[in-house]
Amino acid sequence: MEYVSPEGLRLDGRRPVEMRQLRAEIGVVAKADGSAMFEMGNTKVIAAVYGPREVQNRSQQITDQALVRCEYSMANFSTGDRMRKPKGDRRSTEISLVIRQTMEACILTNLMPRSQIDIFVQVLQADGGTRSACINAATLALADAGIPMHDIVTSCSAGYLNSIPLLDLNYVEDSAGGPDVTVGILPTLDKVTLLQMDAKLPTDTFEDVMQLATEGCKAVANYIREVKTSFFCLIVIWDLCYNYC
Amino acid sequence: MVGLSEGEKEFIKGGIAQDLRSDGRKRHTYRPIYVETGVIPQANGSARVRLGATDVIASVKGELGKPSSLQPDKGKVAIFVDCSPTAAPMFEGRGGEDLSAELSGALQRCLLGSKSGAGAGIDLSSLVVVEGKVCWDLYIDGLVVSADGNVLDALGAAIKAALSNTGIPRVNVAAGAANDDQPEVDISDEEFLQFDTSGVPVIVTLTKVGKHYIVDATSEEESQMSSAVSISINRQGHICGMTKRGGLGLDPSVILDMVSVANFVSRQLFDKLDSEISAAEADEDES
Repeated sequence: MEYVSPEGLRLDGRRPVEMRQLRAEIGVVAKADGSAMFEMGNTKVIAAVYGPREVQNRSQQITDQALVRCEYSMANFSTGDRMRKPKGDRRSTEISLVIRQTMEACILTNLMPRSQIDIFVQVLQADGGTRSACINAATLALADAGIPMHDIVTSCSAGYLNSIPLLDLNYVEDSAGGPDVTVGILPTLDKVTLLQMDAKLPTDTFEDVMQLATEGCKAVANYIREVKTSFFCLIVIWDLCYNYC
Repeated sequence: MVGLSEGEKEFIKGGIAQDLRSDGRKRHTYRPIYVETGVIPQANGSARVRLGATDVIASVKGELGKPSSLQPDKGKVAIFVDCSPTAAPMFEGRGGEDLSAELSGALQRCLLGSKSGAGAGIDLSSLVVVEGKVCWDLYIDGLVVSADGNVLDALGAAIKAALSNTGIPRVNVAAGAANDDQPEVDISDEEFLQFDTSGVPVIVTLTKVGKHYIVDATSEEESQMSSAVSISINRQGHICGMTKRGGLGLDPSVILDMVSVANFVSRQLFDKLDSEISAAEADEDES
């Protein structure tokens, strides 16, 4: 099947290096300490953060750090065919773990010992790139909750179909069986914090695809910064304090 | 849920007794209701309802299936509610299952009528394609994104809005199929039949705090309740279902009084909802 037409247009009319439309909204769940909704094209996710708060399960308490927990769930209606089990299946467990590890690396956990931070991500519509959308939403929700972080984390995916690297795959392109590289970076510190790939790629092509995904992550970071500059003051102040103290 | 101090509890109960609640509302006033339709494009119909800080999404998906042998002239509808952990940390993992099951049961009682299919708020016979062989199975999924009390009423409103937004594709049945075989069906992509929702009821929950009952309780007010009665009423003023929650017993005269209050309140709720739904559909058509 042809995923890129001879004129260089993908199935949804995008160019190979073009991202889908991004949209973010903060504070969608009034009762949570921090929350955000993030859309990448038709993929729509909501993240809510509760914390820092007292650890619910005493045995899990860490004396010098905050405990970060994460749960990923998909709504019954999020995929094309109705899903029967919204959470607890293997894929959800794996993605919960991935998000937790990514966010834990960037939160300044040693500033909040013996406490717990819960990150809940709910997928409302899944059209490829749910992992990335969840990480972007979680970053915004953590910023909305005022939790100190080293840097924001942004994430994007890229693939390789019809011998062309494609940025930000949607569901149809993702199901094509080609490789799918998901990258998460800390944009200001310029470090990679998440890297996952499935299927196979020759090494030099892999470098190109990963570079493309990293560019995508930087584009997401620019979007977040442009639209939500007010939050960033908070994080920069924290960072300054942390560095000078 | 953050605990409430004794002073806060007294404040809530006292306010209700004096017809002035913590957010300034009277006992029988609803919070502002916002309805958006068509929020889930891949579903046949969907809606999102915000009632103060309570935020729920309902989606309606139709699949072709076989009618039950006991009711060959009726389609099937199933209602499932899921409480997202984003609404409250205690809904994590399997924590939300109890509440989800309770809400699903209450909604099924209110909307789907009895086991024989009689008295359903939704006209099930409009869902049949070929009697005895092919019918539409509607799956109504509710998702609670944010919970600040009165989730059942919000879900009822969301389901009503989602059903008004639902378009059932027209099905063309191939003629001349043998009696025992499944007929060939062709689902049209262009033509849609709008679902008739004039019979769909709304749910009004009355929460008893002290000696008085309030409509549309927030989660703080719900924590002070002694009992709650949820009544489902349709446009004609008929009661379509009832659920009582909470330990304290109620005098029968109190329940009858609650029913008449619910009837009165439901008039306003119907009008408000209908205007919100038409405004939402108009917005959706424009965009």
